Amino acid sequence: MRKRVLWLIAALSMVVAVAACGGGSDEGGGGTGKTDTSEGDVVKGGILRLGTIDYIDSLNPFNYIESQAYNAFIMLYPQLVQYREGDQGLEIEGDWAESWQTSADGKTWTFLLKSGTKWSDGKPMTADDAAWTINTIVKFASGPTAVAAPALTHVKEARAPDDTTLEIEYEAPVGNVLAQLEQLFIVPRHVWEPLAAGNGKGLKTHHPEKDIGSMVTGGAYTLKQYERKGTTVYIPDPNYWGEPSNAEAVALTYYTNSDSMIADMKEGNLDWVDQVPFNAVDVLKKDDSIVVNEVPGAETTNITWNSNPRKAKNRELLDPQVKKAVSMCVDRDKIIEVVFNGYAEKVESLVGHISPLENPNLGPLEYDCEAASQMLDDLGYAKGSDGIRVAPATTGKYAQPAHKMEYEIITPTSTDFNVNRSFEIVKEGFAQAGVKVTQKVGGDSTASYALETGDNCDPAKSTGYETFDIAMWDWVGYIDPDFMLSVVTKDQWCSWSDTGWDNPEYDKLYAQQGTTVDPDQRKEIVWEMQQMIYDNFLYTQLTNHVYIDAHRKEWDGFLTELNAYSKRYYTNPQRDSTTCSSGSPSRS
Amino acid sequence: VTVFVAITLNFVLFRAVPGDAVSALRCRQCTAQFKEYQRHELGLDKSKWEQYRLYLADLAHGDLGNSLRSERPVRGELWEPIKNTVPMVALGYVFSIVFGTIAGVIAAWRRGTLVDKGSLYSGLGFYSMPPQWLGLMMVLFVASAIGLPTSGIKDPTLGILGDASTWDVLVDRLRHMVLPSLTIGLVLYGEYALIVRSAMLETLGEDYVLTARAKGLSNWAAVWRHGLRNALLPIVTLVALSLGFIIGGFITIEYVFSYPGIGLAVVEAMDQRDFPILQGAFLLVTFAVILMNLVADLLYFKLDPRVQS
Repeated sequence: MRKRVLWLIAALSMVVAVAACGGGSDEGGGGTGKTDTSEGDVVKGGILRLGTIDYIDSLNPFNYIESQAYNAFIMLYPQLVQYREGDQGLEIEGDWAESWQTSADGKTWTFLLKSGTKWSDGKPMTADDAAWTINTIVKFASGPTAVAAPALTHVKEARAPDDTTLEIEYEAPVGNVLAQLEQLFIVPRHVWEPLAAGNGKGLKTHHPEKDIGSMVTGGAYTLKQYERKGTTVYIPDPNYWGEPSNAEAVALTYYTNSDSMIADMKEGNLDWVDQVPFNAVDVLKKDDSIVVNEVPGAETTNITWNSNPRKAKNRELLDPQVKKAVSMCVDRDKIIEVVFNGYAEKVESLVGHISPLENPNLGPLEYDCEAASQMLDDLGYAKGSDGIRVAPATTGKYAQPAHKMEYEIITPTSTDFNVNRSFEIVKEGFAQAGVKVTQKVGGDSTASYALETGDNCDPAKSTGYETFDIAMWDWVGYIDPDFMLSVVTKDQWCSWSDTGWDNPEYDKLYAQQGTTVDPDQRKEIVWEMQQMIYDNFLYTQLTNHVYIDAHRKEWDGFLTELNAYSKRYYTNPQRDSTTCSSGSPSRS
Repeated sequence: VTVFVAITLNFVLFRAVPGDAVSALRCRQCTAQFKEYQRHELGLDKSKWEQYRLYLADLAHGDLGNSLRSERPVRGELWEPIKNTVPMVALGYVFSIVFGTIAGVIAAWRRGTLVDKGSLYSGLGFYSMPPQWLGLMMVLFVASAIGLPTSGIKDPTLGILGDASTWDVLVDRLRHMVLPSLTIGLVLYGEYALIVRSAMLETLGEDYVLTARAKGLSNWAAVWRHGLRNALLPIVTLVALSLGFIIGGFITIEYVFSYPGIGLAVVEAMDQRDFPILQGAFLLVTFAVILMNLVADLLYFKLDPRVQS
């Protein structure tokens, strides 16, 4: 009898729970609405309200800057491939492409595309759209489509023998074809072809966001609403070939102030926050209604050393041994605790932990200031009476008089971590080494970078990078290390290079890794390049962020690792089948 | 002359900051090739004199140019944020003028009492508070207590799965305006309360007020008819000048509340070195301030017969 009563109570509880999940409510109110529990435990419906501190500046994949726009393209346009979570970290899977193969010489890649796919206006989505997009980007690569062109480096042409077959021909074998193509968004030819007339400028000046009602997309979602600095609303596209969105809509709201965003989350006005500030993590963890996710992040912080061989002053800082010794006095553990609240790890390579091709054999750089002092003594940098070391006079082309080891460190104001605190810890360490540094607040990223490159920056004349000594900054890496490895090449002078390094041997290796198809051979080259960067101490790598997002318990199924890598990042979250949604609005 | 100087300063000042719209492009896909193309397309490879000449020529035709980031006309790019900013800031001003004036009048009327001290210290307190700090306090402690939104201009879910009525939209907009407007109102309240108190004290000490009282007028009548009316001159000037800044918004307040107004647009434009947007925004503010200065002068002329004579 007692058992029966318990069963009855349990059954009643389930009925109440299901009723709570399925009960209608007003939009924006505290209830739930239409639910569909027909697919196992998946609870469909509801508006997934996402808060972010990055905004969508454009809906044109040929003219955008912000990373949130990139996320939007992932959701709105077909890609040949995307990433998924694999046993060894993120790995490539097909998106629109079902399978692919490469020719024996590695120059031709053939993709078999899913059949029967349609654009949001109902017109067929075929391989011809993909071939046209690729050929158009290649055609205008030095102009209107330059932003999209890096994904198609070395591509000669694309062909569509039939509706579901796409052939891409390269001028040379390329080592990271799939990783590059993951960053390619296919656009509907019937919409974009008229814009490509003449010099193709129309491709760049087109603003689909002006009239999202007529915007033709082909991804997991279409747009219901677009507000540049407000809320953008994604609605599932019924034509989408992949796993459909569990949420009835995804509302992405932009915040300039992360404190407001966190306050809104705690109040239940947001379901999900895609980048939690380090100082807010502990507060959120204490909240029983919120789940915090941590995954290895793509952002690394560093001390950047001016490594321009033609640098005029303080040339002792070109000596890797000097840079290494001084760096050995920097307490990275303290930076991790104080600046990142413990949500960071030490890192040795420029490519960071995000890349599976990170060289694990670098360093680690020990925190040993006594040994560092001995190294500096041995190198001839004796301490003066004031405790500051003196660099001896030199002769030759770049002769410099004896001088104290006193330098400025440029710090930008636009970092997403407290660079001032980080500087103080570095300053403390350098002082122990007998090196005095002062902070030079460089202004925002643009102003700080201008201080590094100087006014006369010109790669053709090898001018620039002459006056600055040290900076503290960060890099945001990517799974494939190609981009991060490129930032120290001569080609990136006055563009991405923040070290002014000029090493032809390294540049040759960079070109070589780009055309090495064999993964093991490419890995060898990539590791060698990382070793060169490390040995030359272009950077003193400090930390690798932990990427943190948070969501309310009414939702689950979040795939934090896939942020900016897969459509599943938005399609997978669903309302929790045990708690259902108590705060997220849904259709009444 | 003032306008020409302002126009020229607008051009020079922003270009004195290191970097330009192309060097401000910090994205992975922004290759050197892309930057070179952009610099040419946007005319940044032209000499500064040539850029200045083109800027003046465009202005002479009433053209504020195109945004260097979105490549859309500045006029359109500024219109939306201005539409958002004006009602929010105006609401804050109304709050500060009404309550500041009342507090100032009462403080002067009850000089030396607890009421005066309360008004004086609260005025000083709010006046000296950094607006962004007060805004943050609103976000962290006031918003949840009174159930008001902390950011943006509208509820992200409003009208997504169904149609929202005009009334719903209006109420929603007002709800989002309350906290930023209140913050502005409180900061400015102090300024108004202190100035009104000071002006009233001066006026209430005049012989004609004493005469009015001697004639048997009630305290209220003496304060209202003879005190406040005569104290209005500096207050009107202050209000008129303040109105000129409504269009400029409150950068820090808009930033704290993620309010998509002109202040936020200016911050973004500065970050992106979008000179035409900055020039356009500051030109508008300059015009508004000059215009309101003129209005203040005309009002003075109207309100103070001594000026006419």
